Amino acid sequence: MRARPGGAALVVAAGVTLLAVFGVVACRSRTAPDVGTATVTALVSPSDRPLAPAVAASVPVSDGRPARDAGAGAPARLRVPALELDAPVAAVGIDPATGEVDVPEDVGRVGWYRFGPGLSATAGSIVVAGHVDSARQGRGAFFRLGSLTPGDRVTLTGPGGASRDFEVVARERYAKTAIPLQRYFARDGSPRLTLITCGGPFDAATRHYRDNVVVTAVPR
Amino acid sequence: MRILHPRRAAAAGVAAVVAFGGLSAVTTGPALAASSQVSVVHGIPGQPVDVYVNGEKTVPGFEPGKIAGPLTLEEGSYDIALTKPGEDLGKALLTVDDAEVPGGANISLVAHLSADGKPTLTPFVNDTSKLAAGQTRLVVRHTAAAPAVDVRAGGQPVFRDLTNPKEAKADLAAGDVSADVVPAGTDDVVLGPTDLNLREGTATIVYAVGSAEDDTLDVVAQTLTGLHSAPGGVPSGSGGLADRGLTAPWYAVGVAGLLLLLAGALRLRPARRTAAARR
Repeated sequence: MRARPGGAALVVAAGVTLLAVFGVVACRSRTAPDVGTATVTALVSPSDRPLAPAVAASVPVSDGRPARDAGAGAPARLRVPALELDAPVAAVGIDPATGEVDVPEDVGRVGWYRFGPGLSATAGSIVVAGHVDSARQGRGAFFRLGSLTPGDRVTLTGPGGASRDFEVVARERYAKTAIPLQRYFARDGSPRLTLITCGGPFDAATRHYRDNVVVTAVPR
Repeated sequence: MRILHPRRAAAAGVAAVVAFGGLSAVTTGPALAASSQVSVVHGIPGQPVDVYVNGEKTVPGFEPGKIAGPLTLEEGSYDIALTKPGEDLGKALLTVDDAEVPGGANISLVAHLSADGKPTLTPFVNDTSKLAAGQTRLVVRHTAAAPAVDVRAGGQPVFRDLTNPKEAKADLAAGDVSADVVPAGTDDVVLGPTDLNLREGTATIVYAVGSAEDDTLDVVAQTLTGLHSAPGGVPSGSGGLADRGLTAPWYAVGVAGLLLLLAGALRLRPARRTAAARR
């Protein structure tokens, strides 16, 4: 076998180059680790819940009239400067076929969970869910949600222009089979904004992501 | 007025098996595990009352159509009485002695007219089981001096042949409904239509009260909150574009690089040896 040192060096260089490319891609594909989980846990537990009065107060008496719609405080727009995102918000409920959140079909819109707390909530989790992407429409409003970091600002705006600023305190990723949804859809505890989308490995056969990405923000 | 007949009212009261707790529990601080939540519903037209529990005035000046409570009360056995406002306990309109309370329940104690128009107290245990996301619970209680009725929503009967003092209930999708009441099997509306905003995660309990004969039929509504559940999931991606994991082609790149490196190294080694031999 005739050895040609120049050719061999070329092969080695090509191998090193490919390995380097692989290394860079591998590094870039690492998902950001969770941050702020402890903060979320603290927000969930209603901390200073007043104890039952030790002395019998007068018994509350309420009017037995049928309840009127309280007008839940639907937000109209969601702004996230760090993502250069300014998306319209639709009020969404439950898909009766699945029992899951009826996230807007249009991936450019995000959905506010209308059964939970609204824009002006003083307690509980205001939930806004949005598509990370769709097979037909491509990237969604929440494509880069997982890149938010604590301190980033999020603004919800009502139809009348009233707005409320939030600051990101946590970013977490859970397998959909293990995510504590009760915590993120709670109607009590500290007031907070919860942004949810999909993430993690994608199963091309079922066309589903394995995980949910959850970003929690508190009023500024 | 019928309600002013103490002896008959007392008799009716004794017949009722009432679940109720003592006021003493309210004064002893945090609720115990065996305590119950008790609301009192006033469904007797035209007569404000004072409500006494174990001889203590608990709800003074209680107006018809109102709901008092909920009180957090301990499991036990207690005496309940209704008097005209400010009147002596001895002249009670309605009394129930040794009423038994179960523990850990949510109870509505309803002062109302029986089917034949006599004042009575009926306890209902409220279903506070959790609702699926998006659902609401509608409970209808026939506590009026009236014959069997059908309860209709949007003109369609949903609860048929309901009699005093029975209840009917259903879990349904949250939203607004227009409800009315007709004598069973007829289309003659005797009560309503009433617009009901059935909110998600709550139970709306509607009491038909009053008397058909006296033309005092009315509706009292009670709402129980906090029965909601979280949705089953948040499906929000079907494209796969955000999958940042390494796909097979990238692994192929890595493996190819490794193979090239090895192949190159193997060819370099004999070349060096040859060079050394020539020297």
